[in-house]
Amino acid sequence: MTGRVPTAPPPPRSPARPPATRRPGGDPLIRLFHVSKAYATGSFALRDLSVEIRKGELVFLTGPSGAGKTTLMKLLFAAERPSEGQILVLGRNVARLGERRIPALRRRIGVVFQDFKLIPTRSIEDNVALALEVVGRPPREVRSKVFAMLRRVGLQHRRHELPPALSGGEQQRVALARALVNEPAILLADEPTGNLDAELTLEIMDLIAAAAARGTTVLVATHDLALIRRYARRTLRLEAGRLIEDASGGAR
Amino acid sequence: MNVPYQLYYFVRAALRGLLGSPLPSVVSIATIAVAVIPLGGLMIITGNMRALLDRQGESRQVTAFLDLELDAAEETALARRAAALGGVARVELVTREAALERFRDRLGGGALLEALEENPLPASIEVTLAPGEDRAEEAGAVAAALRALPGVEEVAGGEAWVEGYARALALVRGAGLGLGAILALATLLIVANTIRLAVYARRDELDILALVGASRTFLRVPYLIEGVIQGTLGGLLGVGLLYGLYRIAVPQLGDALELFLGWSQPSFLAPESIAALVAGGAAFGLFGAAVAVARTRVS
Repeated sequence: MTGRVPTAPPPPRSPARPPATRRPGGDPLIRLFHVSKAYATGSFALRDLSVEIRKGELVFLTGPSGAGKTTLMKLLFAAERPSEGQILVLGRNVARLGERRIPALRRRIGVVFQDFKLIPTRSIEDNVALALEVVGRPPREVRSKVFAMLRRVGLQHRRHELPPALSGGEQQRVALARALVNEPAILLADEPTGNLDAELTLEIMDLIAAAAARGTTVLVATHDLALIRRYARRTLRLEAGRLIEDASGGAR
Repeated sequence: MNVPYQLYYFVRAALRGLLGSPLPSVVSIATIAVAVIPLGGLMIITGNMRALLDRQGESRQVTAFLDLELDAAEETALARRAAALGGVARVELVTREAALERFRDRLGGGALLEALEENPLPASIEVTLAPGEDRAEEAGAVAAALRALPGVEEVAGGEAWVEGYARALALVRGAGLGLGAILALATLLIVANTIRLAVYARRDELDILALVGASRTFLRVPYLIEGVIQGTLGGLLGVGLLYGLYRIAVPQLGDALELFLGWSQPSFLAPESIAALVAGGAAFGLFGAAVAVARTRVS
């Protein structure tokens, strides 16, 4: 496969791994080895973070504001580079990934943000289609996949409208549709429900959990503890850039 | 990655950009059009000057009028010497009698000629020049050589004004090149900045595209296409406006043009020149866009 970094360290198969990261399921899709992210000011956003996430897992990432949740997300889709350590995502060493290799990585990672990041001047349909167009899929295939995806999030009847005409919950469903339409291996959701009320939060979270059930590896950053309790999945807790807890959830 | 579909998305994005923010596009198009007008105008002037020079050399003939005192043998000898000159293809000796005959033919016979006691017309040698590149200069050289022959009274063709005119043409051309260079630079800066503004205006959109995995090519090529479209439209608009000016100005300038360009009506740009101007516009649009996107970074 293109984009695989031959110099990446082989996965350590030692029994000395911490129990929290040894789980049943597929191969690890995301691995961080002693990752630190420092800023020019000398302050650290992340400090010596090592973690492993396996295929098909749904993992919550929590912690107070400024704990490094967003930084961790950005490192995973190569919007930022770590100051130290190695990051393996889908077999690529993201820490050293060349500029030109980044698009190929991002096509296999769906990303959702608190502020949706939709293009306000383009229809719902066009917004979702972007993820397929950048890959160069044929227009007919794009249309049918977008329609099917919008039906999955219950918005096929509003596909010709512009994002500002939709409620926050609906806009996030569009963003989710865009993130998932190209069937990514990984879904990263950074405070996806931060702008939504309780009911809409569950609606979005159910869609995210459904994606995980279909085999997508999902990482959700949130400080909504009620949400974490409700879904009872593995939860990584960050504080001041350090991983202070890696708790497996009850339900799995 | 499928290239035809990519191309479809590129063109669609470029058109969307053009139509989505028409004002900056109009600025680019107008700038290119404004640059094309003076350049095209100079091309019209130099083209017509060149055409006049070519017409002048076209007859490719220099005529040497001979001394009235020469006898037929001397005339023939002179014709032979003329034929031996460099750059001469062939010569024809027109005797005094033949000249009178021609004159009579032209006037349709008439009482005026009957009244003449003696043939007033000199014999002449009509020299046809060998084919060559710079007709005007060659004609001048041959004329000078003929003038130097003893027994040649006067030489017509290859006049001195041709040389001066050719120099004027070179001057106009040089000025045109200088003006062209300055206009080109100004146009390029304006177009590049206009497209850069368009890129900034769509920054959020570009960030989102980069987020879903758009390659550098996918982000940049639509702007290059936009530049080419703007340049082509600007070139066409410029040529169109220039044609309008030409139609209005030529009848007004009448006499002044006659002095400068001779009797003929000045012609508009040749199709090749129009194509060159439009292609030049397109190239500028493309180059301006390339400069603009090269300096843009997306997260």
